[in-house]
Amino acid sequence: MEAKEKGIRTLLLNLFSKCPGFEALAGLVALFVVFSFTATRFLTLESLAGIITVASELGIVACGVTLLMISGEFDLSVSSVFGFSAMVFAAMSNTAAPLWVGFLLALLFASAIGLINGLITTRFRIPSFITTLGTMMLWRGVLLAWTGGFGIRYWGKSPFLDFLNGQLAGGFRASAFWFLVLTIGCSFLLTKTPYGNYVYATGGNKEAARLLGIPVDRVKVINFIIVAIFAGLSGCIQFARFASVDPLRGQGMELEAIAATVVGGTLMSGGHGSLIGTLFGVLLIGMVRSGLVMSGAPAYWYQAFVGVILIVAVIINTRLREWIG
Amino acid sequence: MTEEKKSLVRMVNISKSFGKVKALREVDFEVGYQEIVGLVGDNGAGKSTLIKILTGVFPPDEGEIYFEGKRVFLRSPKEARDLGIETVYQHLALIDLMSVTRNVFLGREIVHKFLGLLPVLDMKKMQRVTEEALSDLGIKLQSVDEKIANLSGGQRQAVAIGRAVHFGAKLLILDEPTAALSIRECHKVLDQIVEAKAKGLSVIFITHNIYHVYSVADKFTLLDHGVKLGDFSRGEVTAEDIIEMVRTGQVKEGICSD
Ligand SMILES: Nc1ncnc2c1ncn2[C@@H]1O[C@H](COP(=O)(O)OP(=O)(O)OP(=O)(O)O)[C@@H](O)[C@H]1O
Ligand SMILES: [Mg+2]
Repeated sequence: MEAKEKGIRTLLLNLFSKCPGFEALAGLVALFVVFSFTATRFLTLESLAGIITVASELGIVACGVTLLMISGEFDLSVSSVFGFSAMVFAAMSNTAAPLWVGFLLALLFASAIGLINGLITTRFRIPSFITTLGTMMLWRGVLLAWTGGFGIRYWGKSPFLDFLNGQLAGGFRASAFWFLVLTIGCSFLLTKTPYGNYVYATGGNKEAARLLGIPVDRVKVINFIIVAIFAGLSGCIQFARFASVDPLRGQGMELEAIAATVVGGTLMSGGHGSLIGTLFGVLLIGMVRSGLVMSGAPAYWYQAFVGVILIVAVIINTRLREWIG
Repeated sequence: MTEEKKSLVRMVNISKSFGKVKALREVDFEVGYQEIVGLVGDNGAGKSTLIKILTGVFPPDEGEIYFEGKRVFLRSPKEARDLGIETVYQHLALIDLMSVTRNVFLGREIVHKFLGLLPVLDMKKMQRVTEEALSDLGIKLQSVDEKIANLSGGQRQAVAIGRAVHFGAKLLILDEPTAALSIRECHKVLDQIVEAKAKGLSVIFITHNIYHVYSVADKFTLLDHGVKLGDFSRGEVTAEDIIEMVRTGQVKEGICSD
């Protein structure tokens, strides 16, 4: 009896350290099974493609959010950066300048916002929750003031937009590819490079890291810039899908990205987490969205469901961790 | 100049205040080559403060520091580390959620260049070196991939000491390394301190357990309320004498400090 329990414990411990994100994967599989019974059209390629398209745009943001959360900080302003960058890209697309110029300008804006978030947080030593809550409201406000509340459309066709988020085979879109590339890239950065070590150390024990000569503030600022660039990129990618953007675009995305990251097993307090986990977390959320709709539930149940999943996931995670010891 | 060469560290006339609190008053402190010095004193005596000055955490208000005979100005922990001053802090400078190997090499990772550009961790090599460094000090762990959080207090100390010794420290500073350890683990740490000395290092050992420090130290420096009471070599005093002096804050009659 006892030996058996010990066996399970070691197995779980190994899963935790060797296969990060397995909890989210388990949830993903379970929900997949449920939805394939409740929603008739769920098990089709189009449905899968739809899930992945939505998940990819959220996932690109969540990649950055994960990186930043592991280093012990939050960014609530990603939703505004997402909308702002998309708007810059859209506005530039209707000028004589080539599209890629607008794209680069949008990312430049995004990185500047990230830099500001990082500098305010580290220099004034205030919680990033506050800094980015402030800048979230600030940039959304600026965006609304600038556009007067009106959206922008782009009427032309362009290979650059296809490059960003064109249709591929089977209803899949290029965004899925970018999401995968960024997940793999960031995962590599986190687990295989010295910089990744610094990120984990900064979030795990800032003082200890500082005493060992890790430039913890610089690590945080760099991560703020990365997450902002990803949010901007995702905004541009979504614009490439719709060819239009309105000034409320992206609202609520900051919390969804945090939810996906936490469901994927990253610790809110920093120092632990993985991009594989976030990948599963994002897919889980994307699946809930389309699974519920296809099961015939009204669309607003989606939020409620994600909320419940978030809480349950964190309870299970915490419990498992305590039980393993 | 030649006289200064006799000691690895010489801190002269060090004073430091925090607001109204005079944490250190004109303290002289010396550590010889391959010497274990016990730095003792009651709570708040200024031991940690003295050590933080020596490790570049903050500068002294007054006073000079000589390392290997040369005057040094330590502006950051990194500068102290680069000189060869390694510290195992009272609250360990380890990252609980990271593996032993990653902790040992944190900030000094071994990398190879991927495509001649991107620095990529050489985990294999770091694991091997970690195993060697730890077994050199007589420490055996199940696996160097273990997270620090899963180690016992003594094993954590061992990792911190192993890290310091491996990276060619000349001076190893231990601020209460045996606090909250079992008796058996304490003795292991004490063995590691002696082992470090045998490898040519000097050690500063801070503790409230006089018997622990007495069993390994060559010399004791006593602080009381920021003032140095004196230096005593082991031959001159008994452990009980030191305990008495820490308690009363006075040099016991019949004992003269160096
Ligand atoms: N950063 C600081 N700011 C303000 N006061 C400080 C600071 N560090 C130390 N002190 C004060 O300086 C005095 C000496 O403290 P220190 O930590 O050096 O003592 P200690 O000998 O290490 O004591 P313990 O054995 O309890 O660790 C104490 O009165 C302490 O309150
Ligand atoms: Mg102390």
